[in-house]
Order: sequence, then structure tokens, then C-alpha cells
Amino acid sequence: MKPVIIIALILSLPAFVLGQTGIEKSDDPNRIFIEIASAASQVETFSCDFLQEKHMSMLDNVLISKGRLYYKRNNRLRWEINHPVTSGFAVNGDQAKRWEGDSGRTQTFKVNQVPFIKVFTEQVFSWARADFKRLKKRYHIKVLSDKPIKLMLLPISPQEKKYLDNFRISFAADASYVSAVEVHEPDGDFTRIHFLNTVINHPLNDSLFN
Amino acid sequence: MIMSSIVADLYLFFSHRRPMVFVATLAVIVISAIAFVNLNLNENIESMLPDRKTDTTLNFRLLQQAPFSRKVIINLNKQSNIHGNELVEITDRLAEAMTPPFFTRVVTGPGESLNLDFFSWLVHVYPSLITDEDINRLEQKLTAEEVRQKLNEMYAKLLDPEGSAMKNLFQVDPLGFRLKVLEKLRFLNIIPRMRLENGHFISRDGKNALIIAETPYEITDVEHGREMLTHFQDLLANAVPDNITVSMISGHRYTLANIDAIKKDIVIILICSSLGIFILFLLFFRSFGGIFVFLTPICVLCIAAAGVSVFYRTVSAVTIGFGAVLLGISVDFAIHVYFAMRSDPSNPAAAIAQVSRPISFCALTTLGAFGVLSFSSLPVQRELAVFSIIGVCVSLILSLTTLPHVVRLPQMPKKNEKTYIKKELRLARKWLVYGWLAILVICVWQGTKLHFDGDLRSLNLVPDEIRNVESTLQRTWGNFRGTAVIFAEGPDLQTALETNDRIFRHLTRNLNSSPIVSLAPILPSLKTQQSNRQRWIAFWSDERKEYINQLLTTEGKLIGFKSTAFEPFFKFITGPSPPLTVENLQTIGLAEIVDTLIIRAAKNVKVLTLVPDTPEIAALLNHSDFNRSGIQFASQNQFRQTISKAIADDFIHFILKASVVVILLLGLFFRNLKKVLLALIPVVTGMLFMVGVMGGLGIAFNLFNIVAAILIIGLGVDYGIFMVSKISQGLDAATERAVFVSGLTTLAGFGALVLARHPALHSIGLSVLVGISAAIPSALLVIPAMYRKKNEN
Repeated sequence: MKPVIIIALILSLPAFVLGQTGIEKSDDPNRIFIEIASAASQVETFSCDFLQEKHMSMLDNVLISKGRLYYKRNNRLRWEINHPVTSGFAVNGDQAKRWEGDSGRTQTFKVNQVPFIKVFTEQVFSWARADFKRLKKRYHIKVLSDKPIKLMLLPISPQEKKYLDNFRISFAADASYVSAVEVHEPDGDFTRIHFLNTVINHPLNDSLFN
Repeated sequence: MIMSSIVADLYLFFSHRRPMVFVATLAVIVISAIAFVNLNLNENIESMLPDRKTDTTLNFRLLQQAPFSRKVIINLNKQSNIHGNELVEITDRLAEAMTPPFFTRVVTGPGESLNLDFFSWLVHVYPSLITDEDINRLEQKLTAEEVRQKLNEMYAKLLDPEGSAMKNLFQVDPLGFRLKVLEKLRFLNIIPRMRLENGHFISRDGKNALIIAETPYEITDVEHGREMLTHFQDLLANAVPDNITVSMISGHRYTLANIDAIKKDIVIILICSSLGIFILFLLFFRSFGGIFVFLTPICVLCIAAAGVSVFYRTVSAVTIGFGAVLLGISVDFAIHVYFAMRSDPSNPAAAIAQVSRPISFCALTTLGAFGVLSFSSLPVQRELAVFSIIGVCVSLILSLTTLPHVVRLPQMPKKNEKTYIKKELRLARKWLVYGWLAILVICVWQGTKLHFDGDLRSLNLVPDEIRNVESTLQRTWGNFRGTAVIFAEGPDLQTALETNDRIFRHLTRNLNSSPIVSLAPILPSLKTQQSNRQRWIAFWSDERKEYINQLLTTEGKLIGFKSTAFEPFFKFITGPSPPLTVENLQTIGLAEIVDTLIIRAAKNVKVLTLVPDTPEIAALLNHSDFNRSGIQFASQNQFRQTISKAIADDFIHFILKASVVVILLLGLFFRNLKKVLLALIPVVTGMLFMVGVMGGLGIAFNLFNIVAAILIIGLGVDYGIFMVSKISQGLDAATERAVFVSGLTTLAGFGALVLARHPALHSIGLSVLVGISAAIPSALLVIPAMYRKKNEN
């Protein structure tokens, strides 16, 4: 499964730190990364609304959806779309559940059973652990702006390049959370996600992830 | 009479040339012992299969080619305190550590490549795989409602994070062809309760991972097998933490368990039988010369083994093992000579001459019985016949020519033993005969319950630990090691695949829900693929293309798709579709399954279909309407049945032929029907008692029991000949003692096998114990009782 959107989601979390290798310097990137790392280390939980725009050549109009994202340390995550349809998935350790539509129909499975969820969780949780090795291996990272911080990540592997041209991440003014992610595909299609009403370190009930 | 005088003359001749006799005998024994040590033994179990029933041997060979039959299967079970990918990581770590020379190929699953362009591949191979049935279903789905539903599902999917990743696939495959191919892939599920996780074989409950490995070592290679298992234990200690339980199954484990059990058994048996023989020695021999009596079978074994190697290039280890048991009979001749000489030490030539006739006849009847074995359909029994015939001849010669010169004996008190037997018989004669008849009737009744067990595996010792692993594997992964296999054979892959297609069509047409593992749905022959593609092209007529175009455009527009959104779909249905090859499947991540189901040999290719081992499927393949050319069916159940039948047939034939031969020889010897019948009493009693006890206790009759039965027949006839000779021809009273001691020796030597844990040894021990226990009293008590009764009447 293609990792494009996964990475966009990963980057919607404030908790990541960038390594030195594979990063192009611009306006003292080290200072920027230290700033992000410092903010990330403080994050235990994270929740926000999101507005997703999908610009696809196969569609007449921009596909807009709204939903909510939750993250809690120790491998817990919930991605839910509430409009125009209801769908989403929740991950808790190696267990996952996904749902589609309003029928209440759900599917419980092991994370490793579904390639997309597997790649997604691997990425999210390794970023949450600030796993630089994985990043350095996979992306060139450019700092597009430092006030507010905006980064661009370019895939290294030819396989990933088939699906992903680049993605861009914009941070809030105090670098404490991601405010928007743009994922650009080689055919010109792109997805933009705005993160709104972000709340950090607010207690999140475990039942959200079960 | 001639025989007696020859033996007496020989004794006198050699008595002046004893050093020459000793040197010659010793030389023969030493040369034979050297030949025995250097014997070219073969441990191939095929020698125990009927070679004239070609189906059985073929079935056996085919079963050995079944997936997993020669592989090392390793199960890793995680405890509850292990999370995430740790099980997979540890599985990989262990698999990486399993390297040559002990392991040549180690597989933990089909790998990750299933996840990449897999769905796109599924769509593009559909035209080559589409069947008539698929076309009919597709036709029914091409309605406005169905298309609308598909497009709505697709639209909703695009909103998901993976939606962007799926969009190209949706454009090529708005009708969901990929799902149809996925359905076909279920026929490749070689391990029933398996799912794939991270490209690994994981159990449904997620608690177990599977490693399938190959090793270059033969299952019968004890030395390397042990090294391999020890090496594996070292790997476990280094690569696997305590909270993962690893269990391993391979043929080597069974072999080693059996070898170790036999070694332990031999120690116990040797101690018990040595003790028994020592007690017999103290009670009945108590002389230096008696030692030579017990040395006779050892000498006979060496010479017979060397002798059989003259006739066979390699000798089955089973022949030597069984032969050693059968040659227990050889000690009897020596015992009779010993007691005959002991009864009249002042005139050894006369004593030997007197006993030589019944001994020779015993040897002759035994040779007759063993001679019948040479017509067996089992190669091992034919070898055994040669081995035993040589052994009996050697035993006869040693007992009558050499032994008399090495024993020095005190005289026996004759008086006491005669009176003892007489008194006992006088009191109980009538009731003895009635009691004996009653026992025989009960034995016949119980004997009807006896069944034959052809399962060679049941002759192996399977320790509880291995049994538990077997049951855990079956519970966790399903019965993937016990399926029947249908082989589609051809000179090349395409011919084999065409036959495989035919098998699959036949099975699916006639079976409803039986799980079948077959390549046919996902890798049909090129001929079938061509026909499928023509079907696909014919289906997409211009009218139908126009119709579906309108549907997709109209319904798509309502949802928000552009009119050009599905151009890739029309390109796909009108474009060329490349043929599917083995290489395609290997590239896409199905290499392991393909390699498991296709066996390439120098001159042919076999494509395997795995099916449940049921009589229904066997019957389906044997149906008269079904063309079986190029098709072979290998089934454990069928194999067991065939072997059971072969053993039963062989046994019945053996008993009938041996009976005829023995009766004829007895007739020749006694020339009196009554005496012949009396001489048969110990055999009949021993055999019926063995059959009755086994039938009554529900113990199956197996290949090893046949050997025991031969021993009972051989010894029983001997007891009968000696007792009838003793009574009718006035042989010395030492005969009774000799028969009694001979029976006790057999019980001590072979009855002790009943203490063995190993099923084969235990089987022989039990049969001999039961049969000889009944034959001895019938010889010593029933024959005199019946004989005298007739005379008195």
C-alpha cells in the first residue's frame, strides 16, 4: 500500500524530531529541529478536528471531508471521518478496529493483518519515538520556512517516488503542533489537511482507542 | 534310522579330530562375524511394503513427495506478555540463525511482496483466469444498481487515508474484478488455519508463528539428525527468549526417539532375559558345557547374516532384527542335544543319534514354514526366509556336529522326572483335555475380533512430548500434514497443468465445501488461459462496452466522477492480457506455495492438489466417468488400508501354506494321522491363544506379530514332534525337560520383549509370551493326556 497519506497523517502529530543526515540546511535547521523536539517531548496526548481536501483529476469537484484525530502515547491512535460519511479506524497496540458507514458495522483485526494500517502505525509510532534512522533512510528534508516552521519531505526510494512527489508540513507559530499537511502526488493530485482546535495533553479516554 | 547312524558316525569320526572341528567352527564363526560387522545394511522402509502390489509402493513414494512430509516444522508460541511485532521479530531471528549445513532452506511466510502491486496484478490477470461461471456472475452484476453501489463504495473509500493510494486501482477496476481473483487465491491456502501477517505465517489467534525448513539429512540418518537437533536447541537458547515456546516436528525426531527407546529397551530386556536365562542355567544346566548351548544362537546369527549377504547386495536392517528373533528357535536344537547327552553321558554317540531324528525333522518343518515366507509379497519377509533357512541349517549342523564335542556332562537322575509327569497326568487327564478345549473355543471366539493394522506409523514409538507437539500443530494450524495428495503428472509443466485443470474441474463440480488446495484457479495451463481470454474478449462486445460506458458515466456523474475517470478501465478490457506464468506468481510473492505444489523431476513435472483424506474423494477420483490418465492419488488412509490388507492376505496365505507344508512333513515323519494331529497341538494352541488374547484385548495384529507367529509355529511344531516322539518312540525322559527348558528359554529371551516401550519390540514380546506360554503346557500336558487316553481306550 502506498505510504503517501500515511506520512501525511504521521506528520500531523506534533511529536517528531528530525535527524541531521538527509536534511538540507536552511535558516539553521538544527535550531528548528531542537525546537520541534522540545515541543514533541512534552506531548502525551493530542486531539484535533481536521478538514481534508482531496484534489483529484478523476473527480469533478474537490472532495472535502471532516473528522477528528486522537493520539495517545504507547501506540494509540484514532482517525475518524464524520462528514460526508462516517468511517475511520482506531489502533491500540497491535489491535485495530475499523468502521464504515452509519450501519455500525465494524471489523476488528490485528494491525499486522492489514498492510495499510500496519505501515501507518509503524510510521506513527516510530516518529513518536523520534526514530531518526527510518527518516534518514526514506526522505530528503527541506526547511521551507522557520517562522512559522514549514518543512518539505522528498522520498528517496524509487518505489515511493511512484506514488509520492513530496509532502509539506506547516507548524503552529509556537511549533507545538502541526497546523496543516499537503501531500503531492506525481500526477498532480494532492491532498491538503488542516488541523484545527488542537488540544495537547488533555486526558483522553482509553475507550477511544478500543 | 539312516539319519541317526550318520550322526552317530559323524560324532565318532570327529571325536578323534576335535581340534580340527574346533578350529574349523571357530574359523567359520570369526569370518562370519567379520562379514556380519561389515554387512551393507539398508534402512529403507520400502522393504516392508509389498513390491508386487505396485500401487502400494507407488502410493508410498508419492506420499513421501507430499508437502511437509520431509520438512522440519517449527511452531513458535508466544506468551501473553509479548506484544506487537515481537513474535515476528523472534521468528525472523531464529530463521536467520538456521543456516547450512543443518538447514538448507528456511521459510517463515510468503514475504512482503504481496503488499506492493498485488491488487493491480490481481486485476490484470483476471482475463486469463475468468471461467464460464465467473462470466455468468459478471453478467448478472452489470446493472445500474450494482454499478451505483460500487461507485458509492469507491467514493467513500477515496475519503479514507488510503483512498489516494487506491485511486488508480479504482479507475482500472471500478467493478471489483480484483476481489474475484482474491476469491480464487483462497485455493492456495496450504495451511488451513493460517493468516498472513507481515508476510509471515501466523495462526488465527495471532499467538503462533510457523517456520518450515528443509534439511539435507535423511530422516534415517541418526548421527546427523542428532547433531541437527542439538544444534537447533543451541539456536533456541541463543535466539529465543523464555516467553516464547518453540516446538519442532521432523522425521528425525521420530527416528531418534525410536532409537533412544530401543537402546533403553535393550538394556532392560537384556538384564531381564539374562537374569531369566541365568536362573534357568542354575536350575537346569549347572555345567560349563551349558554355556555353549546359549552361545549357539549367537554363532548362528553371525553365519546366517553373512550367508544372506551372499544372496542380497544389501540386507534390510529389519531382516537382521527380525532374524535375530527368529533364530531364537536355533537354541532349541542345542538344548535337546545337551539334555540327550546329559541323560546318557556314557554313550554320547547313541544319545545324539537318538535325538537327531526328531531334531532333523524339527529343522525340516521349520525350514518348510520359513520356505513359505519366500513367497511373501513383502521383500523383507523374503529376505527373512533366506536368512532363517540358512540359520536353521547352521543351527542343525552346529548342534549335531560341534556342540557334542564341547559339552562335558554329569549324568541326570532319570527316575524322578518320569514319575512326576505321570502322577500329575493321571490325576488331571480328563479335566485337562476338557479345560484345554474350552480355552481353545474361547480363543477362537475372541480371535474373530482380531483386526489388522497396516499403519506403519503405529509401529513407531511416539513419545508423549512429540504427540503433544503433533496435536498442538494440528489444533493451531489445521491438519496440513495429513491431507491426501492428487498428483497431475506430465512430461512438461503445461501437460501437468492441463491435467491439474481437469482434476480441479472434476472436484469442484462434485464437491460442495471440501477445502481444496490447487494451483488450477490461479495458474491454469496456457491452453485454459487462452480459452479464458477468448471468453473475456467475447464477453466485451462493442454493445456491452457501450452499455457499461453509459452506466459508469451516468452513475459516476451523479456521484461526482468525471466522464473520463474510467478511461483506464476501457483500456484494460480492450487491451492485451499477458499469459500467467510460474515466474509471475513467484514475483508477486507466491513462490513458496508454487514451489510446494509443483515438483520438477528430470523427466516429468508433477502438480499437486491437496484434498481432505476422505473415502468420498477417493471414490470421486475412481469414478468411471473420470479419466485418470496422468493422475495419481496418494492417501494415508488408502495406504493404511492397502497395507492392512496386504498384511492380512500375507498372514492368511502364510498360515495356510505353512500349515500344509508342516502337516505334510509331519505325515512323512510319523506316517500316522493321530500322531500328526497330536504333534500339531502346541502350534494350534499357541496360535489360537495368541490370536484370542490379542483379539480379546483389542490389540491389533501388525507386521511384527507375523514374525512372532512364525516363531510360535516353528517352536510349537518342535515341541509337538519331540513330545509325540518321546511318547510313541520311547525317547528318553530328558525330552520333556528339554521341551520345558526350551520353552522357558524362549520366554526368558523373547517374552522379555514385552517389557519394551517400543511398540515393535513389545508386539513381538507379547505375541511370543502369549503363544509360547500356551504351547508349552499343551505340549507337556495335553499331548501325553490325549495320547495315553487313546491308547487306553
